[in-house]
Formats: sequence, structure tokens, C-alpha cells
Amino acid sequence: MWRYRAFMSVQSIVERLPRSWAYALAVFAARFAFWFSPLARPRLQFNLRVACPEISERELRHTTWLNFRNHAKAYADLMMLPRTRISDLRPLLQVKGMENLEAARALGKGVMAVSCHMGSYEVVSAIWAATLSPVSFFAEELEPRALFEWYRDTRARLGISVLSLTVAGIRKVTQALHEKEMVITAIDRDIIGTGHLMPFFGRPAPIPLGTASIALRFGTPLLPVCVYRLPDDTFMAEAAPHVIAENTGDRKADEIRVTQQLLQHIEGFIRRHPEQWHVPHRIWAGSP
Amino acid sequence: MRVGLVSPYDFATAGGVNDHVRHLARQLRRLGHEARIFAPSSRADVDFDTARFYRIGSPIAIPVNDSVARITLSFHLADQVAAIVEKEHFDVLHFHEPLMPALPMTMLKMSKTTNVGTFHAFARSNIGYYYGRRWLEPYLAYLHRGIAVSEPARNFLHQYFPDFPVRIIPNGIDVNAFKPGLPPIRHLRDDNVNILFVGRLEKRKGLGDLLRAYEFMQSRVPKSRLIVVGDGPLRGQVEGYISRHRLPNVVMAGYVPDSVLPRYYCSADIFCAPATGAESFGIVLLEALASGLPVVATEVEGYMSVLEPGRDSLTVQPKGWAELGSALIVLARDAELRRRMGAYGREKAGRFGWDVVAAQILEVYEEAREARAGSAVGEAQVAQIEEINVHDAV
Repeated sequence: MWRYRAFMSVQSIVERLPRSWAYALAVFAARFAFWFSPLARPRLQFNLRVACPEISERELRHTTWLNFRNHAKAYADLMMLPRTRISDLRPLLQVKGMENLEAARALGKGVMAVSCHMGSYEVVSAIWAATLSPVSFFAEELEPRALFEWYRDTRARLGISVLSLTVAGIRKVTQALHEKEMVITAIDRDIIGTGHLMPFFGRPAPIPLGTASIALRFGTPLLPVCVYRLPDDTFMAEAAPHVIAENTGDRKADEIRVTQQLLQHIEGFIRRHPEQWHVPHRIWAGSP
Repeated sequence: MRVGLVSPYDFATAGGVNDHVRHLARQLRRLGHEARIFAPSSRADVDFDTARFYRIGSPIAIPVNDSVARITLSFHLADQVAAIVEKEHFDVLHFHEPLMPALPMTMLKMSKTTNVGTFHAFARSNIGYYYGRRWLEPYLAYLHRGIAVSEPARNFLHQYFPDFPVRIIPNGIDVNAFKPGLPPIRHLRDDNVNILFVGRLEKRKGLGDLLRAYEFMQSRVPKSRLIVVGDGPLRGQVEGYISRHRLPNVVMAGYVPDSVLPRYYCSADIFCAPATGAESFGIVLLEALASGLPVVATEVEGYMSVLEPGRDSLTVQPKGWAELGSALIVLARDAELRRRMGAYGREKAGRFGWDVVAAQILEVYEEAREARAGSAVGEAQVAQIEEINVHDAV
């Protein structure tokens, strides 16, 4: 509970600050976390090393620092959400590959936007929820529960539903897709521990197959998407051409094939913006 | 027709009068008229998509009627307003709360066109009207026609200005935005019965009574959830109460943008409006009815001008939290009753559609223009007769 109270205390200050001040505070907090986190930094550094094996130690260290900084700014964005208006967010977003999104929507089967843990998704989702179609996040439940509820309610007021990775959550995902809505999920981490081992940046990693499974069942187009921060603290959403999950009769093989196709896009996003991909968790064997 | 809509309230802050102005402007444009909006605004970047918006003055918060009115009291509006009015050549200036300082009164005094006033407010008494009656009466004389949004609003005005005729035209509702079947906020749709409150978190909205009622119903209907949409000065107290009493399943949604609000109605099973008084109408009731929700409300005059207890709602005495809780329990336990009331409410809301309301307002504009033309002819004839008499005398 102390985590929730501490978060809420900081949040109540940050939401009242101008954006530039909130970011300055975030960078200060990032500096602290970068130096004093016992596990997050080595794990993140390990993951970035796997994703970008060609960069030098010095570059890796700098990329890790930028990663902490961008993630802290994303937290500041989250904390500012309760007082944010969609009209204020609109000028902050640029979209690359809007035609890919429109093409996926035109199929009339809803859209599963597949992504990785990168950038401030609330900004994009809030704008898409207001202008395109309702958006749901299919995501893990945070601990403590009170913090998760705050996170969920804050997104809800921007028109974003947050569906948990449970049976009831999956049922709601199918309902949302059935009603031609957009569901956003990330596949770069196996949160519930049921992932299938497959190559991710050339190394075996457990990757969830649920997204491919849903797409195979309902014919939903899968849209690889990433969101990242630009140097002027605005946001870019990038959508690749959609992937259609084709059913060949071998369900498991289809799920793996489709997921691998998606992972190729995700790897491309991460390689282009490693300083924005924040997963300080164990993905591969050998991670600290 | 070129219409100028004047609101005294901060256009950057959500509120019933400003919503009315926004919708009316949109509807007028749909009908081929041109509309401009005049209002103070606390934010320079507030814009309005369907009508040109003139930001006149910066608002300050003033406690009025158990609430806070954000109005401008600047004395330097006249020149700015005069230049715009001169440029725009309005056929009609429509003042919302025409006796509210300073913008409507300033514009009303300098208007040389047809003036229409809409009275939204209701209270048991008003010290400003009581002591300022003599000073305010001449301003009413500038209005060619008056509108009140409900009978209580008209009675309130007539308490102080009994001779001023007004026609009752209710607030409107956008029945295309608020309707059943919109995508809900999905994580709020489960096996809980969702009770929705929408309004500013201030004393007169009665949220305190609703929290007590919800606590009372929790032991009887444990699978229920209270969703509170809105923000305001009591937010800290409300959160404190929820935390102290460990109320489960309360969602404090905060301010919800207009584009998302209809989805909250579609995520609810019951709408609750527990105001303690001083409501002249209650647009939220119309939003709930249009969304096909049964209503539990308090018997305040403004609400009773919209609701038909037993058909679209259950009503209870204001401040009676136990009674309020009982009514919520009755509806929470009876899905068929909820469905029946919701269906009736939805059908009824069609009568308050903005197309119907705007047509009535346009009738008033025409009457006002005729009245002005008539009085102008009358004044000219009087002047001519006086001139002839002077010549005769000479």
C-alpha cells in the first residue's frame, strides 16, 4: 500500500505542474533510479545488449540512461493524465502509416494492435478512442490493486478500457473485436508464464501466443504498432502493414508462424528506437 | 439569420449553460444560420468547432447559489464588445442569464438589435435580485422576448420580476450522441449493477447522500458499483469518505470529456441524481433518459419538471439517504423494471431533442424580431405625431 500512497502523493504534485516542469522532475527521478536500482538497470542493459549486439559498451550505457529518462517521462505523462484534455494531446501526436491502420480497420473485423513496451500509449489511444473507434488495452494487472484501479480509471476517462489477462478479459477482448473496436496489446514479455519459446532477436524467449490465437479464431487483422517520443517531447505512432493470420489447419504451428511474423516487426521497432524500449525484466536465459 | 449567443460563464469550464449554448450553436448552424458565441474564458486556447468564439474577459470564481459561478466582472468590456457587435451585424442577440454581470448586461445595454434572454437559474431566493430589482428592471426592458428552461426557472424569475413574460422551452439533448448501445467502458461491464452519478462535486449535488445510500445498499446488493463522473471542490472530502468507510467498488472517474461521457452512460444500469435543491432543470437527467437508463432522483423542483416518477424514475425526498438507498436497491434487484423504465425514458427523450428545442427557440427569435419591428414603427409614429403637434402649436 505504501507504493500506492507514494505514487499518489507524487502524482498529485506532478499533475499540477506545467509539462516542462513535470518532465524535469521525471529526469531527476530517472537519474536516481538509474544509479540506485539494483536489478532494473543490469536487466535492461542485458536486454538492450541482446537487441543491439553491435553497439559499444559506452553506447549501451548511454542508451540505457536515455531509456530510463524516456520511461520516467512516460510516467510523468501518465501522472498528468487526470488533468489532461484530449484536445491538448492532439497537437502532440504524429502518425506514420495511418494508411496501414485505415486498411486494417476497413476489413471490418476490429483491429488487434500489437506492440512492445515502448512510449506513452495513453496519448495515442486517447486520440484514437476519440477520433477512430473505442480502444481497449489488453494488459497485466499491476500491484498493488489500488494502483491498478487508479491506472484503469484514469485511462477510462479518456475512453480507454483496460482488460486484464484473464478468461473474463479475453471474453471482453472478443466482444470488443466483434464490435469492430481496437485492442492494443504487447507481446514482448511473457507476463503470465504461458509463453512459447521462440527466437526473439535470435535467442529463445518465451513469447505469448494469445494474440495470434485470437486473430486465427476471428480473422482479426494484426497491426504492428509502436509509439515513441521525439526529441521535442511530442509523440510518433508508427503502424506497419497489417498481418492476416491464415489458418492452415495446424493451430499451434499457425500461432507460432503468425507470432514470429509479428516479432519481426517488433524487433525492427526496437532496433530503431532502443532508447525507448523499457523492459527491465528477465526475457532471456542468462539475464541478471 | 445571424445569431450571437452570449454566456456569462467561463467557457473553458463544463456547465449546463455553456453546454446549452454549444448545442444551440451547432443546431443553428445545421439549420443554415450563422452563430457566434461570446463568453469569458479562463483559457486562451479554448476554441469552438462550429461557431466562431469570441473570448471576452477573464472569469473569476464567485460563490452563488451553493455553487461557484465563474464569470467576468471586468469593466473594460464595452469597447471590445461594441467593435465586434458593430462588425457582425447580428439579427438576434441571445443572452443566457441576461441579468448576470458583467458580459450579458454590458452587451444587452449596448445592443441595437433584437434581444432574447434565456433564464436558466433556480433558487429559493436571490439576494442580488431582491436588492437589485430596481436597478435590474431596466435591463429586462431591453429584451424583446424571454425564455425560461423550466417552470421552476420561470417561477424564480417571477418572484422578483412578476410582469416579465417568458415562454418555457426546455434544455435540449443530443439524442444522436446519447443513445443506448454505444460501446461501454468494457472493464466496467461485469456482473455488478453500476450506479452512475454525473455532476460537479459540490454540496448541492448531494453526492454525500448518495455515498451514504450506497453504503446502506452494499450489504443488500453486494454486487454493485458506484461510478462518480465529475470533479469539483469536494473531491478530497469524497475520497476521504470512501477511504474511511472502506466503500468497495467506487470508481472516481473525475472529469470525463464530452466524447467519452455517453459511453459512461452506456456502462451503467441506474442513473442517480441526488441533488439537494437549486436545480432548475438537470441536463444530466435528459442524458440518462436518452441513454435508456432508469433514474433515481430527489424530488427537487427542476428535476420534477423532467421526470415522471414510476414511469422513467423513482424519486425520493432530498437529503433522505436511507430512502435513496432503498430506491436504488429496488432498481438494482429488478432488471425488468430497469428495462421498462429505460425504454420509456428513451422514447420520452426524443421530445427534448435539439432539433425540437431549436425550432421552438427560432420561433421566439421571429416573435422577438416582429416585436422589435412593431415597437420601432410605434416609436416612429409617436415621434411623427409629436412633431405634428409641435408644428400645430407653433
